Amino acid sequence: MHQHSRLRLTIIYCCAAVLLIGTVGPFLWLVSSSFQYERQLLNRPPQWLPNPIVLDSYREIFEGAILGEESGVPYQSRIFLGSFGNSFAIAGSVAVIAVVVGSLAAYPLARLNFRGRNVLLFGILASRLIPALSLAIPIVLVAKQIGMSDRLITLVFINLSFVLPYVIWLLQSYFKTIPMELEDAGRIDGCSRLQVVIKIILPLARPGLTSAAILAFLVAWGEFLFALLLSETPASYTSTVVVSLFATDVDVSFVSIITAGVVSVIPPIVFALIFQRYIISGLLSGSLKG
Amino acid sequence: MLAILFSAPAVIIIAATILVPFGIAVFLSLHKWNLKRPGRERFIGLENYTDWLTDSDFWQPLQTTFIFAIGAVLVIVIISLLVALLLNEKFPGRGLLRALLLVPWAIPSVVNALLWKWLLNPQYGLFNAIWYDLGIITEYQNVLGSMPSVMIWLVIAYSWIHIPLATLLLLSGLQTIPGDIYESAIVDGAGIFQRFLYITLPMLRSMLSIVIIFEMIFALKVFDIIFVLTAGGPADATNVLGWTIYTETFRKLDFGAGSSIAMLLGAITLGMAILFYVFLDRGVEQ
Amino acid sequence: MLSSKKLIVLLALFTLLLGSAALAQDDGLKLTGWPYEVDVVTENLGRFTEQSGHDAVFLPFPSNEYRDKMVASFVAGTEFDVAYVRDSYLAEWAAAGWILPISGLEGADELLADLPAGIIEQMSYEGEVYGLPYYSGVQTMAYNAAHLAAAGIEAPPATWDEMLEQAQMIKDAGVVDYPILMQLRSGENYLLREWETLTAARGGRLFDDDFNPLFQEEGSAAWEALDWLTQGLDMGVIDPASITDDDGTLLMMAGTTSFMTTTDYTLKAMNDPEQSNAAGDIKNALIPGTDEVRSGTWGYVRLYSITNNASDKDAAWQLVQFLGGKDATGVYFVPKRWALEFGLGFSPAPLYEDEEVRNSISGWIDPDLLSEQSEYAISRPYRFVPFFSDWEIGSWGPLQAAILGDADKGEVLAELADEWNELKEDWDY
Repeated sequence: MHQHSRLRLTIIYCCAAVLLIGTVGPFLWLVSSSFQYERQLLNRPPQWLPNPIVLDSYREIFEGAILGEESGVPYQSRIFLGSFGNSFAIAGSVAVIAVVVGSLAAYPLARLNFRGRNVLLFGILASRLIPALSLAIPIVLVAKQIGMSDRLITLVFINLSFVLPYVIWLLQSYFKTIPMELEDAGRIDGCSRLQVVIKIILPLARPGLTSAAILAFLVAWGEFLFALLLSETPASYTSTVVVSLFATDVDVSFVSIITAGVVSVIPPIVFALIFQRYIISGLLSGSLKG
Repeated sequence: MLAILFSAPAVIIIAATILVPFGIAVFLSLHKWNLKRPGRERFIGLENYTDWLTDSDFWQPLQTTFIFAIGAVLVIVIISLLVALLLNEKFPGRGLLRALLLVPWAIPSVVNALLWKWLLNPQYGLFNAIWYDLGIITEYQNVLGSMPSVMIWLVIAYSWIHIPLATLLLLSGLQTIPGDIYESAIVDGAGIFQRFLYITLPMLRSMLSIVIIFEMIFALKVFDIIFVLTAGGPADATNVLGWTIYTETFRKLDFGAGSSIAMLLGAITLGMAILFYVFLDRGVEQ
Repeated sequence: MLSSKKLIVLLALFTLLLGSAALAQDDGLKLTGWPYEVDVVTENLGRFTEQSGHDAVFLPFPSNEYRDKMVASFVAGTEFDVAYVRDSYLAEWAAAGWILPISGLEGADELLADLPAGIIEQMSYEGEVYGLPYYSGVQTMAYNAAHLAAAGIEAPPATWDEMLEQAQMIKDAGVVDYPILMQLRSGENYLLREWETLTAARGGRLFDDDFNPLFQEEGSAAWEALDWLTQGLDMGVIDPASITDDDGTLLMMAGTTSFMTTTDYTLKAMNDPEQSNAAGDIKNALIPGTDEVRSGTWGYVRLYSITNNASDKDAAWQLVQFLGGKDATGVYFVPKRWALEFGLGFSPAPLYEDEEVRNSISGWIDPDLLSEQSEYAISRPYRFVPFFSDWEIGSWGPLQAAILGDADKGEVLAELADEWNELKEDWDY
C-alpha cells in the first residue's frame, strides 16, 4: 500500500509538472520579460532569464502611484495602481452580488418543477447569445441617455448581466446534486423556503458558490470593452483600460505593458487562493455542519 | 410564485441592462442604417437578414466559426476534464496548483495578446526558438501564415485562456460525487478506467454538459484572439462571424448589417445551446 | 462559508469604493486622443489656458481602440470638444457629421496658407477642411546598413528588382532568413497602404482622380506590384510572416529584417539603443522605383478636429488653432515642440526652414532624404470618400489570396474593381 501511494504521488506530480509548464510557463516568460530592457525582448534566441535584472518598470508603477506627478514617471505608470481601486470595487461587488442573486434565482430552477422553467432557464442564457460587440453601442447609448455613463455602478450592472446567466446555470446544476432528503428534513423542522436555501442548500453548495464567485470576479476584473466605452474621465478607468494606454500610436512600451499585466494577475489569484479552500470541502463536510 | 420571487432580482438586473439595448439592436437590424449616411435610415423589414442569408460573406465565416468552435470546445473540454481529475486527487500543493491554474484567465486580454504574439512570432518568437533547439524544425516557421496551422494555433491560444474556467466548473462538479461510491467500487475490483466510465462520467454529466454549452457559446462568438493574431487572414481563412460583426459595425458603420448578422449568430447559438441541452442534460434526468 | 454579517460588511466596503470614484465634472474644454506623451499635452493645455482663459483638459484613450471608442462616443453623444483624428477615417467621421469643418472660420485661411496642398487634401472631405495637423509625414524606406555591408552591398536598392537581388545576396550570405518584410496583414494600417506604396513607386495609382479603378488593367503598376510580391515570396526573400505580422518595426529592431517601407517616425524607435538591437544601423533611403520611375510614396496626417458636440465652438476652434497652428504670440508653438523634442513630423512651411528642428531629427533619420522622399508623394483623393473602407475591408482577403497565388490575380482585381464601381454608383460619386 505504501509503495502504491508513492507511485501514485509520482504520477500525480509528473502530471502536475506538465500542467504547470503549460499554464504558468508562458506567464513566467512574462514575469521574466518584465525585468528586462525593452530591446532584450527582441533578442534571438530569446532572452529566457533577465540579465541584468531591470526593475525600472516596477519602480515606475510604484513610485508613480505614491509620488504622483513629482515622480516624473509617465502618466500611464502613475495612474495604473490607482485604477486597481476601480477594478477591485467592480469585481468585488459583482462577485458578491452575483453569488447572492444568482443562488436565489438558481434555487427554484433546480428544485421546483414550475411551468416555464425551461423558458426562464433559456431566457436567461439567451441574454448572452448576442455578441457583446453588437450590444456595445446600444448599451453606451442608453447609459448616456439616463446619465449613467462614466460611473462604476454601471459597469457593475453590465458585468452582472454578463456573469449572472452563467452563475445561475452553474448553481442550478449544482443545487440539483444536493439530496432532496436533507431539504425535506429542514422543511419538516419548520423552515421556510428561504431559510432552507440559506441554512441547508448554500452551505452544501459551497464548492459551487465559490466557483461562481471566482468566475464572476475574474470576468469582471478582466472586462475591457465596456470599461473602455463607458469611461469618459481617468477617474473611472479600470486597470484593463490603463494597461492598454501604454500603446500610444507613436510608441509602445512593451515592458511596461507586460509589467502591468503581471501585476494585474496578482489580485484575482489572491482572491482565488483565499476562496479556494471552500472548493475543497465537499458534500460530506458540508452535511456534517449543516 | 416562489420561482418568480426568487429569480426576480437576477432577472431584473439582466433585463435592466440588456433589454433596451437588445431592443435597439433588433430595431437597427430591421433598418437600413448606415451612420455614414445620416438622414437616409429607413425600415426595410427582414431585408438585412435575407441579404445575409443569400450572401457567401455570411456562409463562409459561419463555416469557419463552426470549425473553430468545434475544435476549441473539444480541446477545452478534454483537457480541462483531465486537469480537473488531476486536481481532484488529494496531494500536497493541490490548493496552490488550483489557484495557479487560473493564471492564463487572469492575464489582461491586452497582455495575453502580446504574449501570444511573442510566443508565435517567427523571428523573435519563443516557440520557434524552442522547436529549433529541439531539432523539430530546421527553419523558422510562420504558423499563422497558412491553413491549417493558423486555425490550429488559434484554437490552442484560445483554449489556453479558456481552460481555467472549464476546469473550475468541472472541479466543482467533481466535488458532488461522494467518495464512498469510489471506495465500494474499488472493493468490487473496478479499475481506474472503469471507475471513470461508470461513476465519474455519469455523475459529472450535468456539469459537463453545462461546460460544453458555455464553451460552445463562447467559441461561436470568438473575436478577441482573431482580432489580435490574424485579423481574419490569411486570405480570410480565419474570418469568423465575430470578426464580420465587428467590421460591419465598427468599421463600415453599417449598424443595420452589423446588428442583423449578430442576431443571426445569436439565433444559431441559441439553437446549438438547446440542442446540446436536450441531448446532454435531459438525459441525466431521465 | 461567509456569514451574512461578513457579507454585509463586504458589500458596504465595495459600495464605498464604488462611490469614492468621484465624478470629475469639468466645465472646461475636453480634448481627447491617443495617449502619446500625456504630460506634454497637459502642459501645452496649461499654456493655452494662460493665454486664452479657457480651461482645458486632456482625456486620453488607448491608441489601438481609439477609433472604436470614439465611434461609440459619437453615437451616444460625446462629451469631447476637440478630438485627434487620423486621416484614414476622416471621411467617415465627416460624413457621419461627427466632426465639423473649419473652412471659413476666423483665421483659418491664414493658417491653411502655411500648409502644403497635399496636407490640406488629406484633411478634407467634399471640399471642406476638417482640422489642423497634429503630426504628419510620409512613408519611407528603412534598411539595415549593417546587413547590406555584411553581404558586400554598397548602396541601398534604387529599384524593386534590385531590392530582390540584394535580398537574395543577404540571404545567401546567411545574414538573415528573410531580408524583406512587407506589411500585408488585414487591417487598415497594412495591406492597402503597402500596395499603394508599391504602386506609387512604379508610377501608378489605384484610382484616377474621378475615382475610377485603375488596378484591374493588365500591366498596370498596381498589378505589377502584386506580381512583385508574389515573386519575392516565391524566392523566399520576402518574409512569409508579412501576411500576418502586425508590427514590422519590431522585426527591424530585432535585427532580423533588412528592408521595409515604414512611417518616417518609426526610425526613431529603430535607432533607439534602449528599444532596438539594431540601433545605429537603420538608415532611411528613398523608396525604390523602376528604371523609369525614381520613387513614390504617400503622406499621412493626424489632425485636431472640433466635434459636433462641442458646447463652445469658438473656444474649441481657439484650442484647435493653438494646438495645430499658432499660439497667442503668433508662433507655431505646439507643432514646433512636437518636432523639436519628439521628432514628430510637421506640416507648416515656416518650420521647414527652422534650423533647430532640422538638427533635432538628424540623429535618427536623414532629413534631406526624407524631404526628397516627400516630393514623390502621390495624392490619394479616393481615400477621402465615405465608402473607401467598405471596399477596403472586403479587399484584404482576396488580395492576400492573389498574392499567395491561391487565386487568379486578374479575376480578383476585376472583382474588386466591380465592387468598387457598385459602391461608387450606390453613393452617387
